[in-house]
Amino acid sequence: MKRFITILAAFLTLSVAVFAQDSRNRAVDTIVGDVLAQMPAENAASFKLQMSDLAKSAPASVEMLVGMLQSAEKGANNKIEYAINGVTNFACDPSNESVKAAVLEGLQNGAAKLDDSNNKQFIETQIRLLTPEVQSAPVFTSVNIKTYSKEWDKISEKGVLKALKSDDAAYRVTALRTADTFAGEEFYALLAKSYPKLSDAAKAEVIYWFGFHKAASQLPLILSEIGKAGQLGFNAIEAAGKIGGPEAADALIGRLGTEDCEAAYQALLRFNGDIRAKVQAALNEATDSNIEPLMKLAAARRIYDVAPIVFANIKTPKHSAVAIECLAGVVRPFQADKVAEMLASAPTANIAPLQAAYAAAISKLGVGERYSQLRKALVKFDNKERFYDILASVGTENAVSDLVEAYKANASAAALQALMKMNNYSTASTLFEAAKQNNEAALSRFITLVAANEKNADRMYTKLMSAFEIAGDKAKAVIANKLGSCPTLDSFITLSQLVGSSDKDIAYAAANSSLAVAKNCVDDIDAALLKECLNKAAAILKSTGDSDDGYAVDDIKNFLSTVEEDSPVFTLSDEEKAEGFEVLFDGTNLDKWTGNKEGYLPVNGAIYVTAQYGNERNLYTIKEYKDFVFRFEFSFVRAGANNGVGIRTPMGVDAAYDGMCEIQILDHDDPIYANLKPYQVHGSVYGVIPAKRIVHKPLGEWSYEEIRVKGNHITVTVNGEVIVDGDIKEACKGHNVKAKGAESNEYTVDHRDHPGMFNKTGHIGFLGHGAGVKFRNVRVKEL
Amino acid sequence: MYNCELYAYHIIFNTMDQSRRSFLKKSGVGIAALTILPRRVFGKMGTDSSIIAPSDQLTKGIIGTGGIGKSSYHFTSDQSYRLVALCDVDQKHLDGAVELARTKGFGEMATYHDFRDLIHDPNVDVVHVATPPHWHGLMSCEAARAGKDVWCEKPMTRTIGEGKRVMEAIKRNGRVFRLNTWFRFKDTFYGLGTKVEPLKKLVDSGLLGWPLTVRISGATGFAWKFYWVGKENLIPESVPEYFDYDMWLGPAPYKPYHLHRTHQTFRGYWDYDGGGLADMGQHYIDPVQYILGKDNDFPVKVEIDAPQQHPDAVGTWRSITYTYADGCKIILEGQGYESEGKVPYIEGPKGKVFQGFECTIPNVMDVINELPDPAPQNTDFVDCVKTRKNFALNEINGFHSATIVNMGVCALRLNRTLNFDPATQTFINDPAANLLVNQPMRGEWGKLL
Repeated sequence: MKRFITILAAFLTLSVAVFAQDSRNRAVDTIVGDVLAQMPAENAASFKLQMSDLAKSAPASVEMLVGMLQSAEKGANNKIEYAINGVTNFACDPSNESVKAAVLEGLQNGAAKLDDSNNKQFIETQIRLLTPEVQSAPVFTSVNIKTYSKEWDKISEKGVLKALKSDDAAYRVTALRTADTFAGEEFYALLAKSYPKLSDAAKAEVIYWFGFHKAASQLPLILSEIGKAGQLGFNAIEAAGKIGGPEAADALIGRLGTEDCEAAYQALLRFNGDIRAKVQAALNEATDSNIEPLMKLAAARRIYDVAPIVFANIKTPKHSAVAIECLAGVVRPFQADKVAEMLASAPTANIAPLQAAYAAAISKLGVGERYSQLRKALVKFDNKERFYDILASVGTENAVSDLVEAYKANASAAALQALMKMNNYSTASTLFEAAKQNNEAALSRFITLVAANEKNADRMYTKLMSAFEIAGDKAKAVIANKLGSCPTLDSFITLSQLVGSSDKDIAYAAANSSLAVAKNCVDDIDAALLKECLNKAAAILKSTGDSDDGYAVDDIKNFLSTVEEDSPVFTLSDEEKAEGFEVLFDGTNLDKWTGNKEGYLPVNGAIYVTAQYGNERNLYTIKEYKDFVFRFEFSFVRAGANNGVGIRTPMGVDAAYDGMCEIQILDHDDPIYANLKPYQVHGSVYGVIPAKRIVHKPLGEWSYEEIRVKGNHITVTVNGEVIVDGDIKEACKGHNVKAKGAESNEYTVDHRDHPGMFNKTGHIGFLGHGAGVKFRNVRVKEL
Repeated sequence: MYNCELYAYHIIFNTMDQSRRSFLKKSGVGIAALTILPRRVFGKMGTDSSIIAPSDQLTKGIIGTGGIGKSSYHFTSDQSYRLVALCDVDQKHLDGAVELARTKGFGEMATYHDFRDLIHDPNVDVVHVATPPHWHGLMSCEAARAGKDVWCEKPMTRTIGEGKRVMEAIKRNGRVFRLNTWFRFKDTFYGLGTKVEPLKKLVDSGLLGWPLTVRISGATGFAWKFYWVGKENLIPESVPEYFDYDMWLGPAPYKPYHLHRTHQTFRGYWDYDGGGLADMGQHYIDPVQYILGKDNDFPVKVEIDAPQQHPDAVGTWRSITYTYADGCKIILEGQGYESEGKVPYIEGPKGKVFQGFECTIPNVMDVINELPDPAPQNTDFVDCVKTRKNFALNEINGFHSATIVNMGVCALRLNRTLNFDPATQTFINDPAANLLVNQPMRGEWGKLL
């Protein structure tokens, strides 16, 4: 791993800031490279860290980034775009005012050299964010709020009053809507004054408008219009309800039982204030004409004290039906026995409302008490099934067993129905028994319950499959869907068969589920089966052509690209065994390593790197090695990944300088490394011997590398090709450090000192520089 | 407590109102009777016609005949509300819609390529805007100016500034506007398991205390559709001959064509929309605004926790938190958000309501039943058009909830916390953020708004 140290001469044309190095001693192009490798930032802290790095080295860093943009056909710009947009957002944040000018300068310098019009437009949008004061763009220029206001200014109160005299209803209503700006006592009075001369239609509109604005001062006028025919009377009732107050309540209650009954009833339901005392008082003096709406109001508003009136009216044939409907709204627990009595002996038509009333009566009791009330009723009455649904709503285990018993003893359909309404997993086995008797509803409920409640994936699979055996095609599709939340190998194997189903719905459900299962138990599934099944799934989803399915297809493709073939524990070949190689990492553990074991993890047979940049964050062999052959495989999982192998290095230092050297590991094909020096490419003895530049395999594929160190001689071989073969002492003519008094070391290609170059022994290390690379099959032989 | 009916006119008219009043006082012009509105604002209803009679048949034209425009919910035609015109810039979409209308027996359709022609078609009463969001503002304003009523799909607009312009244009021209989401007045509200009405009553009663925190999260029964993300490094493709890409882009910045930018997947690009947040945001947030009585109010702060966003392609986020001046919060919990324990949907100092309306207040439904029902809402769009009433979800409360969504979009795109001034609907001390409030439009399109 090496930060790309710049040769001064190469950047003489850039501003001096290029040479500025940050606290970690990095040059600008190194900073840019480091930031790009971390794009997009995962969270606010990382964003701030990366962007302040870029901003501090602006304008050079920003100009460099802009210069790296290519035309879309030529290569990927996304990381560069993230970085440019990120640093722009950072710099336009008012709290980072101090870096704004430098970032802007970088953008402007860079833009001047851009050819591609799309990239140019992108940079212009970024410049715009930093120059809000210079808005040349024609933003809402022709019609702005001022122009609007001019016409609005012409509207006067008088104008509105005049418009109300028009025959054109649309004209009047629009005038009133504009008059909303005048709402206030002054205008209310003006409006009331001209009110008597208006047509009934206009009056209705004005009354609506008063109600809309809750113009309490106009309530007397509004109340005086209640009882008028048509829209005027209706609007007056609605407006009175919106304004509220005791007079309005009296007036509205007074309209119950008249031709305005429904309007008044609705207004009272929404009445602005508490009407309960008024309704109760009215009920005490109710007549045949208004008792029904009053009882309904009492029930809707839970006025419990009027329950005796409701009970009494149940016995009045005229009002019995309404009274029974209202009972649920007014009963309390102490009346439960009375209601149970009525329910048990009620004619069919009254069963439902009385069930509701009984449920309401006991609803305020605790679960235990509700259950014992129901037990009492079940023992006492013959029509037990009338209580089953209420028993189900209690929801407890003893309620389940009572209902199961009732179902089994009498094959009671009502008990089964009640069981299906329960949200209790204990009902499942009984529902399954019923399902076997061809009860589709019971099967469907069973499937839902299993999928929602079964915590153990293996058990869930077994149960869903037992349902599958007796299911029709429709239920099979549901099961295929539910298998998606059942992440086991068996589940996947079943789904891999179902994606081939001739029933479209089953195949479609299985296609969706197979991806979900694959994601959750990828390690258990044979890679070949997985690929075969998911490719089929993708084809099914693609053929349906829905846009959401298009995303699922993308999802499958992305997922398949990450799937690993099985990785058995690594063992040495007979040949290597005979030669005396030692396995350093066999895919399972890092026992032979020390250092940052949190940032280097054994995952799926490989060392998975999450470590960030820093000398304290590297992974080292426990043993030290002098002359050796070091063999391993590496794979880039993220474009632009950066790491390195430290040779003969102490721990916790920069191996490229204080160790013998660092052999670069870098996805140098990524466009973010456009400015790379020859001695920075993959395989280079960093800063000392440039490697022959290779083209890496596609992301995710494995490459084989050997590093051979003997004395001062280093040989690096990648996929059979020797890319470095040289003596480091010869490479710098023996001058690993600069001559006394010299500005820099003229003998090393990076012009830096390498004080550790002639170390005789040391650790081998992986020198992490962010996520995105994996290593496996690591072994070493001492020479 | 406010309700949705209370207009938020102070927003547009606050400054104007004061200046107008002082002007009236000084000049006495207010006494002079001036015409309130030019008659032309009534479009085809002009001088010789009156309001549409209740028995009259309304007509509508749909702009944008892709997914939503052609969905069975919208692609309807009956005696009270007849479909007469279609417009699209994709000839295949347009042909498909005409064919669909034919098979459904809707009768002859007028077809248009340019939305302005549909808007100015005298046979069209209501303009149904079913395009991607980058067109919503322009088309709604243009329709309002032509004297047409508007049915607009969510999200209302893709910038705060465009939302403001729509609100002004609708008001100024006396039009009826319906934003198409509906959970504030009908249907089961996702994880709540009921309509919002009982929760509205509970909140209004003060039984949960104040201020309240609302969590819109997977854990409370909502899904943010994170598959609406864009792709980076798109390699330009050639534009299909049947597709007018330039007109499809309209006010959006020119970028080379790629299929993924357009039909079905446009939500993944900031130029046209804002991913799952913009897709589902108004569905989920508008009812919350109603429940909290915030139809007249805006949050004062938006904070985000998210991976860095790409400047073009929409990405995912972990959480977005909005805070109102009175301490109420709306927290959107997204991808990778780890909530602790059981997550309440709405939480106040005195009580909590969880998914499925499970509540810490015993017998909560009885308690709720004792409370007055909320004020009536005008939920019949055809009736609103005929009687010129404001629809339940209109240009004003719609602008407010769309602005909440757009505040989140701005914060995501800038990777930072933003402070908002409800009085001016701009971000405080953040000129760059305010550039996202009013965004430039390509070519001459900005002049239409």
